[in-house]
Amino acid sequence: MSADLLFLKRRIINAVALLLSAAAALLGLFFLAWILWTTLSKGIAAFNVALFTQMTPPPGEAGGLANALFGSVMMCLLAVLIGTPIGIAAGTFVAEYANRHWVGATIRFVNDILLSAPSIVLGLFVYTLVVRPMGGFSGFAGVIALAFIVLPVVVRTTDDMLKLVPAQMREAALSLGIPQWKVTLQILYRAAAPGIVTGVLLALARISGETAPLLFTALNNQYWSADLSEPIASAPVVIFQYAMSPFEDWHALAWAGAFLITVFVLVLSLFARLVLLRKRVPND
Amino acid sequence: MTDLRTTVAARDATPATTTKMAVRRLNFHYGDFHAIKDVSLDIPEKRVTAMIGPSGCGKSTLLRVFNRIYSIYPGMKAAGEVLLDGENILDARYSVNRLRAKVGMVFQKPVPFPMSIHDNIAYGIKHYERLNKADMADRVEQALRQAALWDEVKDKLKQNANGLSGGQQQRLCIARAIALKPDVLLLDEPTSALDPIATGRIEQLIAELRNDFTIVIVTHNMQQAARCSDFTAFMYLGELVEHGVTEQIFTQPKVQRTEDYITGRFG
Repeated sequence: MSADLLFLKRRIINAVALLLSAAAALLGLFFLAWILWTTLSKGIAAFNVALFTQMTPPPGEAGGLANALFGSVMMCLLAVLIGTPIGIAAGTFVAEYANRHWVGATIRFVNDILLSAPSIVLGLFVYTLVVRPMGGFSGFAGVIALAFIVLPVVVRTTDDMLKLVPAQMREAALSLGIPQWKVTLQILYRAAAPGIVTGVLLALARISGETAPLLFTALNNQYWSADLSEPIASAPVVIFQYAMSPFEDWHALAWAGAFLITVFVLVLSLFARLVLLRKRVPND
Repeated sequence: MTDLRTTVAARDATPATTTKMAVRRLNFHYGDFHAIKDVSLDIPEKRVTAMIGPSGCGKSTLLRVFNRIYSIYPGMKAAGEVLLDGENILDARYSVNRLRAKVGMVFQKPVPFPMSIHDNIAYGIKHYERLNKADMADRVEQALRQAALWDEVKDKLKQNANGLSGGQQQRLCIARAIALKPDVLLLDEPTSALDPIATGRIEQLIAELRNDFTIVIVTHNMQQAARCSDFTAFMYLGELVEHGVTEQIFTQPKVQRTEDYITGRFG
């Protein structure tokens, strides 16, 4: 076979491969754009100030999502506050103290399982662990269920980000005669901070849309409640309930809620990306 | 380069000094791998000792025994003695933090800490001494001057150290190590990530620092070893093949293998 023919054959194979992979990418993007477009157009149509000021209404009445949004913000923030310190401590242990040890490997493996555990399983787990013994659904149980989702994400990011810190930086700091705990707190966390913050923000983005773990724990509440020992409303659960209903005005509120969560996650992801990018450039 | 010449002339005029570090029958294992075999070696005070040899010969490992930095990784074991001013640093009773305050180290790749230029130097000092702001500023300036970096950074001490060039970062790392006033300075291939101009600066700096510190440098660059060391040790497959005055090692090596390595016949 002549060289020209061989090159022609390779060019054709290359063109076919490029075409197929581009088509696959476009197919994915097409559905993503469709989902976003539907959410945005229907959400904006239902968007108004009353969303933030009025409670979830009974069918046929005007209302908003104020109690659900408040419940979501409160539970998500508390879940992040509980999950983050435990996650950072565990991630630090795995990366810095048990990195090449079987204990570290085991924790990493178990954490990866927790990371990919279906959130409904976590909801059921917290139902048995907290809701049944406490005798009822509560915002507190919802916070714990969400914290179980935050935890493995933070453990994994802390572990990964600390491992990205060059070994020579550890050695250089330890070579000054400074003990390991100080080196970790004062040097390594500083170097890994943008990545860890990004991980926490992405965990927050993830739990802000979680429905399944809240169905079994925080349940729902038609009225304003800031009492964590009582059932509490949340945006995803209200969306779930309203979207399944036969009422037009509930559908509109569900779309508005979906729109708000989508925008929140989008803004959070962009912000997380900016934090990481801004910090990365001068380091390279 | 007059500085270098006067320094070298002054050094040659002074007679041989005392032994700062004495390695006695040192053996080192990484798991099953026998990395250093029965090495004995004297490191003279306020002189530059260069360690040369092909990759994997154990020269970096030997350097990493001198401040026990190897001990942060599992599965590594050193047996024998390394005497620093007569005390065995491998003895578990010898505090590793005390050792590292006396034996500073600079690595192949410059790694500034993620903080300002000033704080990079001050960080280590703060661990040992409580100084007020003015005294700390003096100490930082002194260390940066000693590392020949002061003039380039005096106007941007508050800026992040990552903004410096590779050569400047490496001098910053040297400043950070000497700010603690160690007795011994270990340099692990300090110029292998730098361009020739930055390398020249570091070599000049080594010539100046030899007045105050005992220096051990690991290098792959034979010319560098010849240019900036007083003594040279050649290692091969974990053994110390030959050790002596640099000029003698490079002009009249006693062992055939040393000559083969220096003339580039293997390695």
